[in-house]
Amino acid sequence: MEMANNGPHLERRKAVSSIGMIILLVSFAMLFASLLLGYTVFRLTNEVWPPMGMEMVPITLPFLSTLVIAASSVAYMNFEKAYSAGESKLTSRKVSYFMTLFLGLAFMAVQFELWAQMADIGLYVSAGIFPSLLYTLTWVHAAHIVMAILALLLLLPSVFKEHSDTKIIWILNIGKFWHFLGVIWLIMFVVIFAF
Amino acid sequence: MAFFEQHIHEEPKTFLSKYIFSYDHKVIGKQFLWYGIFFLGVGGIMALMIRWTLAFPGEAFPLIGGLLFPTTNGVIPPDTYAMLFTMHGTIMIFYAITPILIGAFGNYLIPLQIGARDMVFPLLNMLSFWIAFVSAAILFISLFIPLGAAAGGWTSYPTLSTLIGSPGAGQTLWALALFLLGISSTMGAVNYITTIIVLRAPGMGYFDMPLSVWGLGLTAILNAIFLPVLGAGLLLLIFDRVFGTTFFLAGAAATSGTGDPILFQHVFWIFGHPEVYILILPAWGIVSDLLSFFSRKPAFGAKATALSMTSITILSTLVYGHHMYTTQMSPLLTQTFMTLTMTISIPSAIFFTNWLGTLWKGSIKFPTPMVFSLGVVFVFGLGGLTGLYLATVTTDLYLHDTYFVVGHFHYTMAASVLLGGYAAIYFWMPKMFGKMLNETLGHIHFWLTFLGLNGVFMGMMIVGYGGMHRRIYNPFVYEFLEKLIPINTFVTWSAIVMGLAQIFFVYNFVYTIFFKKEKAEANPWGVGTLEWTIPSPAPVYNFKEIPVVKCGPHEFGNPALTGDRDFQYQTEEIPAT
Ligand code: HEM
Ligand SMILES: [Cu+2]
Repeated sequence: MEMANNGPHLERRKAVSSIGMIILLVSFAMLFASLLLGYTVFRLTNEVWPPMGMEMVPITLPFLSTLVIAASSVAYMNFEKAYSAGESKLTSRKVSYFMTLFLGLAFMAVQFELWAQMADIGLYVSAGIFPSLLYTLTWVHAAHIVMAILALLLLLPSVFKEHSDTKIIWILNIGKFWHFLGVIWLIMFVVIFAF
Repeated sequence: MAFFEQHIHEEPKTFLSKYIFSYDHKVIGKQFLWYGIFFLGVGGIMALMIRWTLAFPGEAFPLIGGLLFPTTNGVIPPDTYAMLFTMHGTIMIFYAITPILIGAFGNYLIPLQIGARDMVFPLLNMLSFWIAFVSAAILFISLFIPLGAAAGGWTSYPTLSTLIGSPGAGQTLWALALFLLGISSTMGAVNYITTIIVLRAPGMGYFDMPLSVWGLGLTAILNAIFLPVLGAGLLLLIFDRVFGTTFFLAGAAATSGTGDPILFQHVFWIFGHPEVYILILPAWGIVSDLLSFFSRKPAFGAKATALSMTSITILSTLVYGHHMYTTQMSPLLTQTFMTLTMTISIPSAIFFTNWLGTLWKGSIKFPTPMVFSLGVVFVFGLGGLTGLYLATVTTDLYLHDTYFVVGHFHYTMAASVLLGGYAAIYFWMPKMFGKMLNETLGHIHFWLTFLGLNGVFMGMMIVGYGGMHRRIYNPFVYEFLEKLIPINTFVTWSAIVMGLAQIFFVYNFVYTIFFKKEKAEANPWGVGTLEWTIPSPAPVYNFKEIPVVKCGPHEFGNPALTGDRDFQYQTEEIPAT
């Protein structure tokens, strides 16, 4: 169902799918909000945090994750711009796409490093409420990142093909998801690791 | 205002694309209808087994008992009893009522009543059904595994639902099934909301939508926001069971650093209270419309009804604590939740009065959909009023976890929502399947169901008020409950009547769809909403031309009408007087 390139029509299709995507993101946000609410409840009702004499995770790796995911969002924004600009920005389109993909994978790598480090300092998933919460939040977030990376891979063919209006809708929506996960990570970073 | 015009669907050719993996909202709606009716039957048989045990403990369940429980000669054993009430609740709420009201009628009505050719994301719609199907399969399989299905109640409170309370895999599968179902319903919700926003026919403002669409839309909003909350709770529960976390397990006297079973109750009811409105809102909308259609009068205060449904939707997010008065909440909190709950009475009273206002001086006709709607008015009145006693902290401390609560929520869900669902089935049958259900059988179905359900649920409230606890296996071993034995037996006989009454429906439904020859007219009820402007059954593409809406959904008896009809299609202009 390829649409002819008629301006107002495309704008409307964009609006329609943005509405759908935003409602979907509200749902995703509620999932993370509930988990963070649980975290906050435990955090506030425990006098000492982390409880049970546990160690806090060093902030280095989470901080690195934050930088990586922020950079990936910027890369994706460049990709969106380059794609909309059409054939004239073909190189920049490819570069920014693979940059995003690379940074997404790098984020996952840092997460695995983080989980290894947590295990090293005795924070196992079943060791108590504190590590359980940490693992749950990071796992659920990482699962969504994996979905986002898969979605990104769906776009791979269109990086090399010529510009298409239906694809731009996909690109914008996957972008919303990608940036959303960045924002969620930022909140998690502030709530869990920074304080 | 439609954002764009959808293409005309091509007629699918193969069996698979026509009936199984169809993108057509009407087919998906019917799939959900069959799915819901099937589980209504399964859940209903479970209910009869529960009731049998409560009235005749130690006696074999008739007919199929020996087959199902060979080790006990047909008597339902206590652990199976716990599985039965758990699965009964889960199946009825999530796999019977929800698919019928939201899955079937949400899908069927939204596009037709707003003048669209399909949902805005048909693929998402199809996936939503098939994920629900997988979810149901998982739940169903869990009935047959070693140690059996989940048995911690439909609310699955820890520690009953953790490995300590239920070591079998059944509880894990239960959580998994509900998680999947949540994904499916969220996908549906995204579709419904977007469709209502972007695909309304030209000229159709929000207040020109039938109230059914209002109810379904508000439900979808609650679904999109609160199902993920349940999802989070289920994830944590699954983690507790699979990865050995302790979110919901308090260690030795809850030393700091361990989990908290009450946390699950909070998460569950933050979702759970909106969920009960998720179920009732579509029924309210449908009944509001039908009352007007069969009183041949405009819906009284339709705008106020829509707005009070909206404010109930908003308020319903703030009252969940009334399920947890006995969890040692601070009195400040219980009183706050009590006040907020009572506030819901205001909008409820408004639309209830509007219902009565619609009937007032109407020229009321009594075909089956209307008697079911009137039934809803009656039973919802009772259900809502009993809610007030539960919402009051002082009375709830006594009534909590008794059969009074069971009576209350059966009046609201098993009575109001179920009757609303039946009203919808009888009413939209000609549009869905092109044939009318038999009226006589319909009336018999209604009266037997209605008598039966009042016997059951009124009886439940009485035994609950008398102090009978819910979820007990054999009430007769308690001396203080001995006087309630006759009422329990009466409740069980009423339940059997209600169960048998459904045979009239199933026969009527199946006969009409597969064997009845006589076709229905395009508009057998004389109603002006958009789905009645097209042939029965609705063609694949719904509307050949996208209609242009010129008036509201309830234009009856308008003196400005010129023709010999007493109603007006939404596509017709009301002549200025
Ligand atoms: C109209 C005003 C209503 C009020 C004031 C109200 C109030 C309450 C209260 C306070 C409880 C908790 C009782 C307890 O556990 O001690 C309760 C339970 C319940 N209500 Fe309502 N309710 C209302 C309407 C509804 C509606 C419309 C539905 C569903 C369609 C519903 C479904 C339920 C369910 C399912 C439960 C019990 C769940 C359980 O514990 O298993 N209620 N209600
Ligand atoms: Cu409630």
